[in-house]
Amino acid sequence: MQTQAQKEPDREAAEKIQKLRELFADAPELGKTALENVLKELSSQVSEPPPPIESAGRVGARLGNRSELTIIVPLAPGGAARLRTFLQLLGGNLSPGATKVGTLHDMRFVFFDNDTRMLFATSFDGDWDTYIDDFIALIPDYLDIIDSAWEGWPGIRDPGAKDYLIKHQITAEGWFVANPELTLAQIQRQARVGKILDKFLDEISE
Amino acid sequence: MQAQTQTATEPEINPVVEQKIQRLRELYADAPEVGKAALEKGLANIRAELSEITASGKESAGRAGARQGKVSELTAILNITKDGAKRLRGLLELTEGNFKAADIVGTLHDMRFVFLDNDTRLLFATAYDGEWDAYIDDFVTKIPTSMDLFFCNLEGWPGIHAPSIKDWLVENQITADAWYVANPNLTVAEAKRLQKIAPALEEFLDKVG
Repeated sequence: MQTQAQKEPDREAAEKIQKLRELFADAPELGKTALENVLKELSSQVSEPPPPIESAGRVGARLGNRSELTIIVPLAPGGAARLRTFLQLLGGNLSPGATKVGTLHDMRFVFFDNDTRMLFATSFDGDWDTYIDDFIALIPDYLDIIDSAWEGWPGIRDPGAKDYLIKHQITAEGWFVANPELTLAQIQRQARVGKILDKFLDEISE
Repeated sequence: MQAQTQTATEPEINPVVEQKIQRLRELYADAPEVGKAALEKGLANIRAELSEITASGKESAGRAGARQGKVSELTAILNITKDGAKRLRGLLELTEGNFKAADIVGTLHDMRFVFLDNDTRLLFATAYDGEWDAYIDDFVTKIPTSMDLFFCNLEGWPGIHAPSIKDWLVENQITADAWYVANPNLTVAEAKRLQKIAPALEEFLDKVG
């Protein structure tokens, strides 16, 4: 069992590298050169696999404790103007609502394709359903103000709200986090401890 | 809720804010019902909180992108070349969607690759520390080969060492209209330092306490 598990990834890795070489055969020159340059590095990474990307639940990718949510929606007529004005009112800073969601690391709203579509992307702790439940329970009105600019948004209290989100979410194919094991709660506790230490060091050096 | 907004702690009326709220009400006049109702309910809270956040609004990360505190965002939606999606997916499959090499950059909080519109476009989105130019310089000097390997599959990629590389990136980047960071003053380096010292310090505090 052990030896078999050991052997299989190696063969799989070799096959993957072979496949990649074939795919890059007609890549631009600088891509081909780059591939040869990093293949050695890549192959060592493959035989020593990094922690795998897992699922955040019903949708989305997760690395360690950290998940990603990437939603792309068509905007309703007039939706872009409403949403922009709302975001401008807040100075592009959503902390009044967002800090209430204690698992939310970062969040962005990006208009594209001439204001006909919107990207909503966040980085959060743990499981998709729990996270969305937090949004629903803690900041339902913020969500409805924003999401009512989205084509077909049923309302956060509608039983179809989660299905709508899933329908428009696209799971990332690549996902990197610098400190994947650290939850927001842990980070904040550590930041507090760090402050205590700095204060202590200041005091004893006086 | 109603009573709360009428207490003495209500911030004084700011004419600029009131004007913006008025404009928002007009825009929401023909919004779907859920939006209109949410705006009225939400405005009570928003008005009270607006005065607090004016000091900590979204700033610029430099040539492109938004920044809050020390943390910036980079968002680019790029056209994929013919057959580029196959190569990109092949690369991501090989690394199992994981980028340990990205640690080398040192200022990168998180990064995602997302395929859009039937594999014709790629969303590349990151959260990073500090200023745009310094961040791109890090990519250029620390992981140039990985950059060429991935980005050669995107239309118009000039090559990481091309003099026009920064202009190309700026042209393809879309600045976020809103950007939120839970710990805007915590850099990757500081988070790593705290992760090292915090457990030992907590143990120490437990013992002396």
